[in-house]
Amino acid sequence: MRRVILAIVSTAVALVLLLSFKTHTQPAVPGSPPASVVGSPAPGATGGTGTASAASPAGSGPAAGGATRTVTGKVVQTAYGPVQVKITVTGGRITAATAVRYPQGTPRDYQINSFAIPQLNREAVAAGNAKIDAVSGATYTSGGYTASLQSALDQLKGA
Amino acid sequence: MASTAQAPLRAHPRAVLAVIGAGAVATVWLWWHGTPAVSGFGDWLTNAGRITGLLAGYGVAVLIGLMARIPPVERGVGTDQLARWHSMGGRYVVGLVVAHALLITWGYAVTAHAAVTSQAWTLLDGYPDVLLATAAGLLIVMTGIVSARAIRSRLRYETWYYLHFYTYLAAALAFSHQFAVGAEFIMNTAARVAWSALYIGVAAAITWYRFITPARQAVRHRFTVESVTAEAHNVVSIVISGRHLDELQAQPGQFFRWRFLTPGLWWTSMPYSLSAPPRGDLMRITVKAAGDHSTAIRCLAPGTRVIAAGPYGALTAARRRRHKVLLIAGGVGITPLRALLETLPAAPGDLTLIYRVSSMRDVVFRHELEQLAERRKARVWFVAGTRDELDVNPLSGGELTRRVPGLIDHDVYLCGPPGLTSAVTRELLDAGVRRRHIHRESFEF
Repeated sequence: MRRVILAIVSTAVALVLLLSFKTHTQPAVPGSPPASVVGSPAPGATGGTGTASAASPAGSGPAAGGATRTVTGKVVQTAYGPVQVKITVTGGRITAATAVRYPQGTPRDYQINSFAIPQLNREAVAAGNAKIDAVSGATYTSGGYTASLQSALDQLKGA
Repeated sequence: MASTAQAPLRAHPRAVLAVIGAGAVATVWLWWHGTPAVSGFGDWLTNAGRITGLLAGYGVAVLIGLMARIPPVERGVGTDQLARWHSMGGRYVVGLVVAHALLITWGYAVTAHAAVTSQAWTLLDGYPDVLLATAAGLLIVMTGIVSARAIRSRLRYETWYYLHFYTYLAAALAFSHQFAVGAEFIMNTAARVAWSALYIGVAAAITWYRFITPARQAVRHRFTVESVTAEAHNVVSIVISGRHLDELQAQPGQFFRWRFLTPGLWWTSMPYSLSAPPRGDLMRITVKAAGDHSTAIRCLAPGTRVIAAGPYGALTAARRRRHKVLLIAGGVGITPLRALLETLPAAPGDLTLIYRVSSMRDVVFRHELEQLAERRKARVWFVAGTRDELDVNPLSGGELTRRVPGLIDHDVYLCGPPGLTSAVTRELLDAGVRRRHIHRESFEF
């Protein structure tokens, strides 16, 4: 019996230690995406999906201050797949944000992102910038989302 | 010791444990390497579930590997010790499997903000191969339950033995979900290759050593029952003949698993020690009529064909470290020690045999043992009588120290029922004998 308790306790302690070490190495989100996220447009980002080319803001009508514009951010590669964000801006404010691409390859991706993406969309609209909180359990997607959102905002400024 | 040039390879127990431990570390490293960061309660649970799952997958492979009867491991560690590791590790792995299932379900539920029950359903229904893995988990838990001491003792040996074959099925069923949904494997080809190599290696070892080798040996050696003779009350010796027996390199103290090809016996194989060193084309085993099987063995007709798998066991002269040797036999545990008494290299006076029986009519090989004692200048004591009839425990540390001068300078070979071997081991340790000088085997299956 003593051996059984010893085995259970030492396993639990080892698990907690391992997990706490991993918690300390958590990358800082928002702002800087995880190191493995590459902020370069994927080849073929413009094909197939029908979204606008990454670098060109798809303006509708003259770029007046109060006009509504739709901008698509860069494709950001994460370990689980590409993330790309499209925002609608009216009068300098983000009125809508959607992810046009996000990892859906496995049931787990699907489950996590069907929860995480709507939350990130709401956060983006509420914050009006790319300084939004990562969604717990969706660290990669959050990192990719923030980076793509930032690139969309950058395009607006540059235009 | 005699001919070191062709001494069969033996794996040291510590080396085997070190390899198993290194594998476990590599498995945890796989998780460490593939996990960027853990954030939030759901992630903590999920990752704890991943680690326990990976270790369970590794543990199942190790547990099956321990039972693969790989010759250097059998000779170096001993069947007895391997079985103890297997049952101890088995309990642990059952715990890991249960923890894995619960932690993953709970962790996914917390992350997805779902109820645990609906998450469990989502996992079974929507995740590839998780249903198969759940069936595998239930099989493993069932094997663990029937192996628990209380239930095991109420089952026939054969029932318990054949139920264990379901663990092969469990390992196969659980394998596909590891690659289909295991985060550590989806993105890591090298990990998939190494993991597959582990499972294929274990499967190959099992197939080769447990199934193909006995069949090949049966064809090559043509084992046949030569004669059956009564030795003592309920005890018979069976002489088995065969060809090219020297190729088996069977050492005194080892045993084979015997399958007698008669209508009532062919489906079960039982471990019996050689009760004499192999001579020419003859080997001898000695069996006490305990269960149905042993009773049926007394009626074997000469000429019956036999499949023998082996040799197994580590209770051999290779374990020896000291000049002086004490052999302690309990009941029919005398069989391997009888073979060792004849063959262990020893100077006159260095060998002592203590043979514990409940009454003198249970003594087997009395005449042979007395002859061997005379020839080898060894001391042989028969200790008969139940514990109530004897005033003192004849196998207590104090009593052994008194009877065997220089007890702590002896290697002790111990064979008998499990209760006796563990009790005597404790007494010997208390009397100052080092653990590494105690070599034991108990005939529990």
